[in-house]
Amino acid sequence: MAVHRCLWPALVGLVLVAAAGPPVEGATDAEARASNFIDALAGDAIEALTVSEVPRPERIARFRTLFNDHFAVAAIGKWILGRHWKRASPDEREDYLVLFEDLIVVSYVDRFAEYVGERLNVTRTVAVDSANVTVFSEIMRPTGGPPIRVDWRVGSLDQDLKIVDVVVEGTSMSATLRSDFGSIIRRKGGQVAGLIAEMRDKTQSLRK
Amino acid sequence: MNANTFRRALVRWSAPLLVLVLVSGCATGPDPSDAEAVAEFKEINDIGEPTNRAIFGFNRFLDKVILKPLASGYRKLPDAVQRSVHNFLNNLRSPVIFFNDILQGKPNRAGTTLARFVINSTIGVVGLGDVADDMGFAFHNEDFGQTLALWGLGDGPYVMLPIFGPSNPRDAIGLVADFFADPLNIWLGNIGYEAAIVARGGLRGVDERARNFDALEDLERSSLDFYAAIRSLYRQRRTDQISDGEGSAILPAPTLGGEEPLFPAPAPGGEVSQMN
Repeated sequence: MAVHRCLWPALVGLVLVAAAGPPVEGATDAEARASNFIDALAGDAIEALTVSEVPRPERIARFRTLFNDHFAVAAIGKWILGRHWKRASPDEREDYLVLFEDLIVVSYVDRFAEYVGERLNVTRTVAVDSANVTVFSEIMRPTGGPPIRVDWRVGSLDQDLKIVDVVVEGTSMSATLRSDFGSIIRRKGGQVAGLIAEMRDKTQSLRK
Repeated sequence: MNANTFRRALVRWSAPLLVLVLVSGCATGPDPSDAEAVAEFKEINDIGEPTNRAIFGFNRFLDKVILKPLASGYRKLPDAVQRSVHNFLNNLRSPVIFFNDILQGKPNRAGTTLARFVINSTIGVVGLGDVADDMGFAFHNEDFGQTLALWGLGDGPYVMLPIFGPSNPRDAIGLVADFFADPLNIWLGNIGYEAAIVARGGLRGVDERARNFDALEDLERSSLDFYAAIRSLYRQRRTDQISDGEGSAILPAPTLGGEEPLFPAPAPGGEVSQMN
């Protein structure tokens, strides 16, 4: 009986892996899922954003949906604020997270589709720990030359996969924003409210 | 530029720079009783921040009036021309890359650099074409700053160099060492063609600026503190280059699930510790 109890999940796992198509050589189930997830994101991005006739407000709306569907927006926002999150008031936290989403959406809407265009190739996957997988990809430059390395950190919560960081040529989006925002808070005398005011101004100027 | 002209230039520029440093002063430290703020201050490791910001402003002005217009015009040239110029400059750098490959104890990479230099200088027509890449010898860069890092020298505080941009004491030493170890520079200096050395440096600057044009535009537009974003990116880039691009899988990052794992421990020895 004990043997059977152990065997069944393994068999089910095998069937699932087979159904998911040929994964990268030696990749675990979690790695294959993360890899497929990034492939799917690239496909969704092209579909939603590369049509040039779509007016900008509609593109922003589509990118916002894409961003919320595929990225762990709140978790990234909290991590970026770091130690200041604990000190922020409930109102400040709420304002901050809304503005964080806005800022990223208006900052990246014009480049994202062009960036993850059809030339994205997943090269390998590495399981960082039980919940996180890094998916390594290469994006070919339209003008030739060496491809750009883009690594996607994909976290999982239960069965839900979400991107927690994008690392371009070794530079992490989350870490860069953390330095950027942290510097503003420091220059505003340690006040999260100072950061929120700056974010509001920046988002408004980028929306135009 | 031979050793004498360089020394003269150094003497000429060091006085105004010193004045700038004295006028701008050092970054004010945080309240010593706030342990987290103190830790953050150490991690940022930018003791000359006011001075660095002043120099950054100066560099941005130079960029606006000289480098950016040049890079912008350069980008209008056909892609093939831009690629050839880039290949040519990369090929000229081969001896320095080769020395550093050796000094880092990486014979395979040294072999690749040597093979590239021979193939591209001949079949590639003085390095204008990158034939070696098609033959499986892909380009990689190295510099003496990276070599010093592998030898165990820490980067030290962040320094914004006039004209040369983001750096630190280690990388600044590397910059000078690579300059003087470059056989082409030595030869051009000996035959009195200092202007060619300057022209090569200028062309490298324009090529580099043009290749990062969109990325810099985006960053300047969307960052709240451009200076801090550049500082972070410079350090991350250097860490990545030192690890030959192998370190990015283990960077600290946000995680899902619960409040606690939101702040994972930084990887040991990496630049990542400065990001937190």
